[in-house]
Amino acid sequence: MRDVEAPVSPSRRRLLTRGLLGGALLVVGGALPLALRSTLVRGKPKRALLLLSEDEHAIFAAVAARFAPGDGAGPTWPTVDAVDCAGKVDALMATTLPEVGAELRQLLRLFESALFGMVFTRVPAPFTRLSPAAQDARLESWRHSRLALLRSGYQALKRLSHATYYSSPEIYALVGYPGPPEVPRGPA
Amino acid sequence: MSDPAGQDDGGGERAPGAGRIIAGADLPTMSALEVDFCVVGSGAGGSVAAATLAAAGARVAIVEEGAHHTKRDFNMQEAWAYPALYQEHGNRATDDLAILILQGRAVGGGTTVNWTSSFRTPDATLRLWAERHGVRGLDAATLAPHFDAVEHRLSIGEGSEDDVNRNNRKLWDGAARLGWNPELIRRSVKGCARLGYCGMGCPLDAKQSALVTYVPDALAAGADVYTDCRARLIETDRDRARAVVVDVLDRASDRPRGRFVVHARRGIVLAAGAINTPALLLRSKAGTGSGVVGKRTFLHPTVPLAAFYDDPIEGFYGAPQSVAVHHFAERAEGIGYFLETAPTHPMLTAMAFPGMGDAHRRVAQRLAHVQATIALLVDGHHDDAGGTVAVDGDGRVKLRYPITPALREAAIHALQSMARLQLAAGARELMTLHEQPLTIRGEADIARIADLPFGANLHTMFSAHQMGGCPMGEDPGRSVVDSRGRHHELENLWIMDGSIFPTSLGVNPQLSIYAHARLFSTEIIKDLPARPPS
Repeated sequence: MRDVEAPVSPSRRRLLTRGLLGGALLVVGGALPLALRSTLVRGKPKRALLLLSEDEHAIFAAVAARFAPGDGAGPTWPTVDAVDCAGKVDALMATTLPEVGAELRQLLRLFESALFGMVFTRVPAPFTRLSPAAQDARLESWRHSRLALLRSGYQALKRLSHATYYSSPEIYALVGYPGPPEVPRGPA
Repeated sequence: MSDPAGQDDGGGERAPGAGRIIAGADLPTMSALEVDFCVVGSGAGGSVAAATLAAAGARVAIVEEGAHHTKRDFNMQEAWAYPALYQEHGNRATDDLAILILQGRAVGGGTTVNWTSSFRTPDATLRLWAERHGVRGLDAATLAPHFDAVEHRLSIGEGSEDDVNRNNRKLWDGAARLGWNPELIRRSVKGCARLGYCGMGCPLDAKQSALVTYVPDALAAGADVYTDCRARLIETDRDRARAVVVDVLDRASDRPRGRFVVHARRGIVLAAGAINTPALLLRSKAGTGSGVVGKRTFLHPTVPLAAFYDDPIEGFYGAPQSVAVHHFAERAEGIGYFLETAPTHPMLTAMAFPGMGDAHRRVAQRLAHVQATIALLVDGHHDDAGGTVAVDGDGRVKLRYPITPALREAAIHALQSMARLQLAAGARELMTLHEQPLTIRGEADIARIADLPFGANLHTMFSAHQMGGCPMGEDPGRSVVDSRGRHHELENLWIMDGSIFPTSLGVNPQLSIYAHARLFSTEIIKDLPARPPS
C-alpha cells in the first residue's frame, strides 16, 4: 500500500487557503504580472450569466471541453458548448451558498492563472490559451498531484463538467441509455 | 408579525381540522407562530414525530428546508432531480470533496429520494450500543412494535425475487456461488412498476416515502408543514428550548427572503439529519455542553467497483436495490462492510468513472453493460471515530472525514471481495474507480488491489447514509440525548434522526430512523394532557 498523502510545504501553503465547495483552494497570486495575461473567450454565453463573469464562463467552458469526449468520439457527440455545460454550471452554482459560488469563481481564476501554470507545469500561460495537449497536462498535474488541495480542485472541475454533460438528454443514446420510460399519468 | 397559518393559502379542500402545506413564497417577510411542538425536518424522523404528536392533540408545525414536490414533478431526469431534491443541490461533500454526500432535501426528506431498502436495526448493533455506548432500554423487543407499525404503514413486505434486476442478479449469483448468503431486500413500495428512478422521486407514488405516508398523516391530524424554511437557530432559555428561528428561502435563488420564528410551547423536535441537526445546535451554541455534538459522524463510506458484462445489464432500470450481502458485516480483523448495488443512470455513473476526454468516454459508452457493486463500510463499530460536523464563522456546515488506515484496510478487503464476487458471477472484466484504475480479469489481478493508493480524491467514494453526531446514551458526558431522544441539557428538546445513532447501523438507515422516532414520540405523548373533545 502506497501512501501518497504528502505534506504541503510551508512555502506552498502560503499560496493556498481553504475553501471551495465545502472544500478546497484559492491563490493569492492574482496581483502578479503573470496573472495579468488575459483569458481567451471563444464564445459569448448563451444566456445571461447569474454568477460567473464572461471570463470565468469561458474558463469553465474550456475546462469542460477537456473532460467531455474529444476528437476521437466523432461528430455525433455534442460539444460542451452545444449542451451549454458552462451555462448550466452558472445557473446551478448561482443557487448554492454565496460562499460556495465565490469559491468556484476563485477556483476557475486560479486554474486559469499563468502563474499557477508556471508553478505546477512550468508553462506560464493561461489555461484558455494552451493547446489541448497542454491543457490536458495541466489537468493531469492536478489530478495526480501530491497536494490534496489540487486533487480536490480537479474533482470539483471534473464533477461539474461530467454532471452537466452526461445529464444532457442529447448524450443518452450515445452511452446506450434509452432514457426514462414513459409513465402512465392519471387525470390531474 | 402575523400568523401565517391564519391566512388562506388557497390550497383547495381539506378535511376539517386538517393541516396545510404552506410554501415559503406565501409567507410574509416577517412572521411568527406559536405551536405546541416545532419539528425541524419532514423526513423519516420528523414526519413520524409530527404525525404522532398531532394525533395526540398537539398543535404541530413542521419546518422543512426543501420544497414540496410531488409525483408530477418527478420527471426522472438527473439534471432536475439532484439540484431540486438533494442537499446543496447535489453538491454536498466532505470538506475536501473526497466523499460525495447524497442526502435528500425536500418534503419527505431522504425518503423522497432513497432506494427503498428497509432493514430493522441489527441486534448486534443494538447490543454494541448497550455495551459500549451507554444506551439503556433499547433492545429489539422494545423496538419491535414500532418496526411493526412502520412496516405496515410503509407496505414493507418480504423481499421478492420479482424485484431483482440484472444489476442485482449478478450480486446474487456471485455471492451464492461463493457461499456468502445473499438476501433479498425488503422494500417500502406498493404497486411498484420497477422503473428504476427511486433516487429521483417516484413518479407513480408507488414508493411509500414519508411524502405519501407520514406527512399526509401529520397533515390529516392537523399539523402544518412550512416548506422552503431553513432552521437557522434554536433559541433557548436556560434549560429549555423556546423557539426555532427560520430563514424563509426564495425558491429560485435559494437565498433567504424573510424570517420566521416558531415559538414552541411544549417542545422542539430536531429531525434535520445527521449533518444539519448537529450543525443547528453548534450554530445556536445550544445544548453543546457535552462537547460531543458533531463528533463521531458516520457515513457508511461507500466504495464502488464497476464490472463489465458482454450481455446488457441496464442497471438504470428496475428496482435499484433488491439484494444485499452481509457476509462481511462483522470482521474480527477490522471494519466490516456489506454489499449492495447502485443504479447506473448516466450522470452519477459518469461522475464516478475516473478520467476525462475520450478515455472517460470509452468507459461511459459501456453504460448499459456495467454492473455496479458497492461496499458500504460499517464505521464506528471498532475504535474508528468517523468524521466531524462543524460550522464556520458564517454558520456554514463543514464535514470532515479522514480516510484512516483502518478504513483503507477495509476498503481494500471490500474491493477484493467484490472482485471475486463479480468474477464468480461471470464478469468479463472489472475496473476499480481509482484515478489510476486497475483492470481486473482474474485472481492474479485481485492481489494487486492491495497496492492501490487510498486517500482523499484518489478514487471514487460516496455516502448515502449519514449517522451520528448527536449520539444517544445515558452518560451526559459522552452523549447528547438519552435513550429516548431527549436532550440531556435541554429538557424539552428531542432529536429524532440518524444523528442519534452512536455508531453506523450496518444496514440502510431509513427504517431504523422511522422506528426510533415513533418510539420516542410515543413516549412524549404519554405526558401530554388528554386531547380536548372536538
